[in-house]
Amino acid sequence: MGKYARPHIQTYKLTHIQTANEVSDFAKHPVSPLPDQDPERHFSDDDLVWTGEEEDLIERYREQYPTNESAVMHVLWLAQEKFGWLAPEVIQFVADTLDIPYAHTYGVATFYTQYYKEKKGQFVLDVCTCFSCQACGGYDILHYLEDKLDIEEGETTDDEMFTVRSVECLGACGSAPMMQVANGRYVHNLTEEKVDTLIEALREGEDLTFESVTLPQDEDEMDGNRRSDVDRTETYRTPPVAESVE
Amino acid sequence: MPTENGATKVKDWRNYDRVLLPPIQDLHKLEVYENEYEGYEAIRSILGDSEQDPEAVTNEMKAANVRGRGGAGFNAGLKWSFMPEPDDRPRYLACNADESEPGTFKDRQLMEYNPHLLFEGILIANYAMQIDACYIYTRGEYVDWIMEMQRELDKLYDKGYLGENIFGSDFSTEIILHKGAGAYICGEETGMLESLEGKRGYPRTKPPFPAQNGLWGYPTTVNNVETLAHAVLVMRHGADWFSGIGAESHPGPTLYGISGHVERPGVYEYPTGMLITDLIDKVAGGVRGGKDLKAVVPGGASTPPLRADMIEGVTMDAESLTEAGSLMGTAGILVLDEDTDMVSWLRRVAHFFQHESCGQCTPCREGTGWIEQVLARMDEGKGRIRDLDLLLDLSNQIEGRALHRGRLHRRRRARPAGGSGGTGVSGRPIASFSRRMFSLLSAIRQTVMRKT
Ligand SMILES: Cc1cc2nc3c(=O)[nH]c(=O)nc-3n(C[C@H](O)[C@H](O)[C@H](O)COP(=O)(O)O)c2cc1C
Ligand code: SF4
Ligand code: FES
Repeated sequence: MGKYARPHIQTYKLTHIQTANEVSDFAKHPVSPLPDQDPERHFSDDDLVWTGEEEDLIERYREQYPTNESAVMHVLWLAQEKFGWLAPEVIQFVADTLDIPYAHTYGVATFYTQYYKEKKGQFVLDVCTCFSCQACGGYDILHYLEDKLDIEEGETTDDEMFTVRSVECLGACGSAPMMQVANGRYVHNLTEEKVDTLIEALREGEDLTFESVTLPQDEDEMDGNRRSDVDRTETYRTPPVAESVE
Repeated sequence: MPTENGATKVKDWRNYDRVLLPPIQDLHKLEVYENEYEGYEAIRSILGDSEQDPEAVTNEMKAANVRGRGGAGFNAGLKWSFMPEPDDRPRYLACNADESEPGTFKDRQLMEYNPHLLFEGILIANYAMQIDACYIYTRGEYVDWIMEMQRELDKLYDKGYLGENIFGSDFSTEIILHKGAGAYICGEETGMLESLEGKRGYPRTKPPFPAQNGLWGYPTTVNNVETLAHAVLVMRHGADWFSGIGAESHPGPTLYGISGHVERPGVYEYPTGMLITDLIDKVAGGVRGGKDLKAVVPGGASTPPLRADMIEGVTMDAESLTEAGSLMGTAGILVLDEDTDMVSWLRRVAHFFQHESCGQCTPCREGTGWIEQVLARMDEGKGRIRDLDLLLDLSNQIEGRALHRGRLHRRRRARPAGGSGGTGVSGRPIASFSRRMFSLLSAIRQTVMRKT
């Protein structure tokens, strides 16, 4: 075994071991700091405080579970809403708040796609291009947005207003193609006109209202909207033909 | 509620009266749910009736044969009965509202239009298994629905329907909402438990099953949203009523989420066991623009697609679909018309599985990536005939070697019929390419093993 293993190990060493320089470059990367090196900071210690209200909320989250660890997803959400994204010092802050290890908190933050590990635009436009949406023109909408905002998927506009992402199924396949705006509202049955209006509204600072998609059977039996507390409704529509599929 | 002449058999589905999402204005509000839908009557009568001990409730569920609507289709009452005898340890229910299976969107509609049905179902389940707390694990994207459910839950706590001594009985129980943050694998029950414990959503090996070793190591049951909603119907109308609806081996009302190339996509409530052809042509208005059908995916991305010529006479229940070579899954039906480029579509589906692989098991983590790469090569018109064998080999390598045995495409038949004779598939335009590829691709079946 040893006879064959040696040359292999040597090649490995020659090509894969990083030089000291490379290691420190790597450490500067804000997303994956090495544990013993301080990453570049984006928030000062003065920023990293909870308000009294937030502290109460965190206390409530903790009470809902037998361990502090379990509240970590709630608190990461809270931190992301407050700071916009989860910089390493924010993750550290969450870890300290809950009195759990940084490594654990970091592991959780990096597992889930909705936690932003880097700075994003004010409105992250998550366009679904999965399964049904792909078949119904999700990529058309994605490419239209890319052209309109002059960015590629995953990038942020220069004015830091919009980030466009292509995401996996969001659970609204019947109203495909669709997207989610800033981890919040769903916008269903997208067309190019609808995208135009949406971008306009977001630029104007308008709030998006909740859009209820009515059940087709309701339209037959109780003329559409069954909810009196929702202004905007959409009916499921025949999706447009998909031009681009990738 | 089924009226006197209310249709309960599949044959007369046109007269079917909806029970999960009945046409009642503002049913999502507690007042309406209570006044117009006999809301919380079922749990009230269970708690007030000394005959209805927890075991009787579980037995009723078992007899109704409510098969889990989260994908695995396991008898819910039987699952409940796996919980060990109550001792001084805490016990939990985890309600699976993750709904990240592509093609599935029924739970969201249920939570939007009839959330109290879910809450009452949870109360019934909690009583039947003597559970202290239920966590509803909702995917992080459903913020609007989470906030709304929280508002309704607050009302329940205020009225004493939740918390200490509910409805004045000596039974106490709680419901807590947990918000995910975007990870398909947290829909898998043990991945979800890990996530609830505040960890990365890595599925656990089974056994031990959640009933023995669940949340924080305590006895836990995992059920889908729709499954729990059915518990109310069973307790309200009786097991016989429930098992008399729809397909015999897979009974009950069910929510079909129809998406893709149909005239009227959406969530429809009908009995199980409907003909797929009826669902597409009569319920959803047919394939859009009068086009021909190419393929149907009957139960979400993890179920094998069926070619148009394979769906004749196939009904939406576990038995018939298994016979046809597919699975019931979540009853999220995707309809694809004749113009669909199956290779591109499959490539996108492969990308989904590659992206969502949690990375614990090497065959799955690496294999899904390779499958995507091979499909991408085929999609770009650079495919080679031996790629098909490569795909088959890759799928077989994943199958059985990862925690979710064969989470990806599994080609059932080694030698697909009618393989093209040419060397290399350099085929573009898309249409001719995919038509040629289709008979091959339909054999590349996707399978997700969903072991309960
Ligand atoms: C990869 C994977 C993803 C799953 N996703 C979901 C899901 O999103 N929602 C769900 O209810 N069940 C999902 N399941 C099924 C659950 O593991 C579990 O079987 C189900 O929640 C049990 O509930 P039921 O018996 O009421 O169906 C998934 C299973 C696997 C293997
Ligand atoms: S089969 Fe894949 S998704 Fe499932 S546990 Fe293994 S790596 Fe994770
Ligand atoms: S595939 Fe786009 S929402 Fe499901």
